[in-house]
Parts: sequence; structure tokens; C-alpha cells
Amino acid sequence: MIIAQNRFPKPDFESGYEYPFFSYQIPNETAWVVFDLVMLVLLMSIVAWAVIKRRKRKPVFWVSIVSVAYFGFFRTGCVCSIGAIQNVALALVDSSYAMPLVVLLFFVLPVLFTLLFGRVFCAGVCPFGALQELVNIKSYRLPRSVTAVLEMLPWIYLILAILFAVTRSSFIICRFDPFIGIFRLGGDIGMITVGALLLIAAVFTGRPFCRFLCPYGALLSLFSRVSIRKIKITPTCINCDLCQRACPLDAIRPPYENKVKESRVQGVKRIIIYMVVLPLMALAGAFLLQQMSGSLSRVNKNVHLYDLVVKYEQNPQDVQPLEVEVFYAQGGTLEELTGRVEKIFAEFKTASAVAGALIGLVIGFTLIGLSLKRTRKTYEIDDAACVNCGRCFSYCPQNHIIS
Amino acid sequence: MEEEKKNNDPISRKKFLRMCGTAVAGTALLGVSAVALKRLADKEADYFWQIDPKKCTFCGRCETDCVLPISAVKCVHALRVCGYCDLCGGYYRTNVKDLNTAAENMRCPTGAIKRSYVEDPYFEYTIEESICNGCGKCAKGCNSFGNGSLYLQVKQDLCTNCNECKISRVCPSGAIRRVPYAMAYMLKDD
Repeated sequence: MIIAQNRFPKPDFESGYEYPFFSYQIPNETAWVVFDLVMLVLLMSIVAWAVIKRRKRKPVFWVSIVSVAYFGFFRTGCVCSIGAIQNVALALVDSSYAMPLVVLLFFVLPVLFTLLFGRVFCAGVCPFGALQELVNIKSYRLPRSVTAVLEMLPWIYLILAILFAVTRSSFIICRFDPFIGIFRLGGDIGMITVGALLLIAAVFTGRPFCRFLCPYGALLSLFSRVSIRKIKITPTCINCDLCQRACPLDAIRPPYENKVKESRVQGVKRIIIYMVVLPLMALAGAFLLQQMSGSLSRVNKNVHLYDLVVKYEQNPQDVQPLEVEVFYAQGGTLEELTGRVEKIFAEFKTASAVAGALIGLVIGFTLIGLSLKRTRKTYEIDDAACVNCGRCFSYCPQNHIIS
Repeated sequence: MEEEKKNNDPISRKKFLRMCGTAVAGTALLGVSAVALKRLADKEADYFWQIDPKKCTFCGRCETDCVLPISAVKCVHALRVCGYCDLCGGYYRTNVKDLNTAAENMRCPTGAIKRSYVEDPYFEYTIEESICNGCGKCAKGCNSFGNGSLYLQVKQDLCTNCNECKISRVCPSGAIRRVPYAMAYMLKDD
């Protein structure tokens, strides 16, 4: 390892040479950050007003364009609410981690708006959603069986992202961000390819990233289920089915009559089965992921280093990897590293058990959701899936009545 | 009898559950923000990524692993540390035959180091930042044979401040980390 030393004396200049002055400026981002927050609140308010009060798509469309241009290409996608999940999760468990206020606000404000008005953030304020929305031309409907499986992915992604964040291993949402390379016009070629493929898919089906990957969308869907004000089907609905066909996210459910009449005893039985199956799924998930905690922990930098050092000590004649070389040069010993890594292993064991239990519950609840067949007398909006894009309004022949 | 009928009304039950859900969601949101806010107020946030020149090993990964097309890491020259040598370990490659400025003798692959004659025997070296790619070859040479006045720093006006710096993930010595405002540059001059 190279260590800087003062090998040559400082010269005595006789020609009156003066040291040039360099200034290293630290950009003051405060003004931009404040403007970001103003834009965030303003755009979400516009969407809420347009969708709930005016029942019009036009303003949402313009918000999408502004968001892609400003949050996407101009501010290059950072800070983003999706990534902020990890910072908030880490701040909640680790008191030594200090989080900037703007990150917290970027996390909390969209959730708050979702609780008030539904997923107005997803509608067009999130540059990722807006970009996919803008390229969407035709929405081919994917079969229910496929979407049911794919819709579990955001939850699993969310749980894993929190797992890696709270163990201080990695921020995987930021690492595997498919659109940031497009917004920055450069970056990791693999991720840009994934982003481009997602965008091509978005031309033919509504928002593949939002529906099948976005962890923040999963979180917001929880809040939008219980939001205070939300889009409703026109009260004077004439059952024309146009809105359902227009919805790119398949969030409008047609009327359905469940002809199977269930007796009270059967219902109670079903509930008991759920009560038994859910904890079993959680336990199975916890067990499975705990078994995998060893390989999961390899994401952590220290564990990765530990692997390299152990591998090197077994074959000392091999070429020393750079990491190992620096590790020894800094005076590290395997014992000290083992101590550190064992703590991380233990942390991963508990954290991945919790994560596994949660994944088990996600699968369990998805299965229950698929097995329930509720009678719907009218068209109904699936509040969790609806992103308030407002495409259905112009298709509704009765929309003028309340708008 | 009528009351029982009311209780069985599915709409009102659904509504009630929904209200409970709203209350739970609202409380959860408040709780999370309250706890997180407490964490905020405690101390100044570490917000800038910076390289600790004492730990840097000039491995060259700053050049290749930054998310930007041209790395935000640049070579910085501490003139007050520099020996102003003619035979500069950062300027010339090791074991060059003739000390001239032919390209094969130059350490810097992009030609970002400019040198100007000050007085005998001193030369001033400056870095042209727009050409520098942060490979750290000159810094390695300077730290091996000179005073270590050439070193790498993250230029804060170029850095996009990623949530997790991609270079920090591959940095073998852990030299690059989040630092508070006061340490946004770790300059050797000061």
C-alpha cells in the first residue's frame, strides 16, 4: 500500500511566485430542494383537483409532461420517493443514521396525499409512472392468472429492499433503478436496457413497472384502499363497460354475481382455514428465508470481504485480490473481521426470518384474495390498483352529469 | 329485530372497516413520521460523498464505477504540498528514457496535467478538470515517489449525490463515505 510522505522540501521561490488560489465550491442545493417540494405538493394537488373535482384527464396529462421534464430529465430522478423507503426504514431501526429532511418529506407527502385522495402521486407526479403513461398507446389486457402472480413482485421487492436497507447492506431500489439511466442519458447499460424494455412493454400494456415492480406503489396501494376521498364510478352508470375497457391498469371490475350461496357454517369454516393457513404460510416463509440468510448476507460489503479473505487464506499462493491486499495493509485480521461479520450474520438471520414471514403473508393474502368471489351489483373501482390516471373519464357517456 | 338487520347490512360494515383502516393508516403515518423526525433533529446529516485522501489507494475504480459517463471524481492538486520537481512522479511515467513531453512518457492518459516553468528548477503542475477522468494514476505516482500532493476528490458540483454511491460499494479501502457539510472537501492544503 502506498503511503504519502513528504519526500521533497517545499521550494523557496525567488522569482516572487505566488500560489494560485483554487476555490472548491459546495453547491447550495437548498433552493432547489425547496422548489422540488413545492412542485411535488403542487402537482399532487393539481391531480387531486382534476381527478376528484373536475373528473378530467387533461390536467393529469400535463402534470405527467411537467413531471417527466422536471423531476425526470432536469432533476435526474433524485431524490425519489421510491428510494426514500430505504432511508426511512434505516432511520427507523438505526438511530445513528441521520436522514435529510427532504428525504423524509419525499416519503411522507405522497403517502399523506394517498390517504386523502388516492394514488394521486402515481397518477403523473412520479416521473417513472408519468413516463410509462405518456408512451402507453394501447392497453392489452394480461390474463388474471399472470397479473395475480406478477402483482406479488412489488411486495417481495419492497420487503427485500427494507431487509437490505436495515442491515446497512445496500440500497437495492437505487441500484436497480431502470429509468434513472434514461433520465440521466447515460449510466449502467444493463439497467438502461431493462428500462427500455419496460418502456416498450408500457406501449402495449399499462404501466408494467408500477404494477409489477414498484415497491412504493405497493405501499401506496395499502393507503389508497382506505383513502378518504377517491374516484367513484359515475352514479348514473348505464353499465356500458366502456370505462372498464379503457382502464390501462385493469382496476375497474365489472358487475358479478356470485351464485354460490354459502351457509354460515361454511363461512366460519373458511375463516378458520384462513386463520390456520396464514400463520403456516408466514412460518414457512420465515423458515425458508432464514435458510437463505447466508446467501442474502453476501450483499453486505463486509461479508463479501470476509469471503474474499477466507478464500485467500485457504489458498495463499493465489493472486491477492485488491480488497484483501488493502484489508491486510490497513492492519485487519481475520479474527476481528470474523467478529464483525458474525454480528452481521446474526442480524441477517432475524431480519430475513421477519422478511420471510412477511413474504409468506403476502402470498397468503394473494391466495385469499383470489379465492374470494364477492358479488358486485355495479362496476367497482379497485382502489388499490387505481392510480388516478383519469383515462376512464372521457370514455364514460355519463361523466358530464357530475362534472 | 330491526337493529340486528342493521348490523348485518354489508355496506355499513364495509364502511366501518374502511374507517378503521383509515384511522390505522393515519396513525401509522403519523407514528413513522414522528419517529423519523426525531432522528432528523438529533444531528447534522451526513450528506456529501467524499474520498478520505488518507485512506485512498488509487485503485482506479473511481474512474470506472461512477454512475456518470465521466466520473465526478477528479484529481486535485495541493500546491502547498507539492515539491515542484522537474522529475514528477505524477507527470512522467516510471522509468522513462528521456524527460520530454512525448505522449509515451506521460502518466496521465488524457493529458489533463499541464506543467509550466516557474524558475529553475521548479515546475508548476495544474490539473485541467474538464479532461481529468479520475483514474488516479498520477495520484498513485505522486504518492509513491513524491509528496502526495496529487490526490482524488469527489467534485461536489459534478456529483449527483446518489443515495448509495456506486463507487463506495467497490472502494477496497472504504475511503469514500458520507460526510457532513464541513468535510465536503478533504483538502490537503488546509
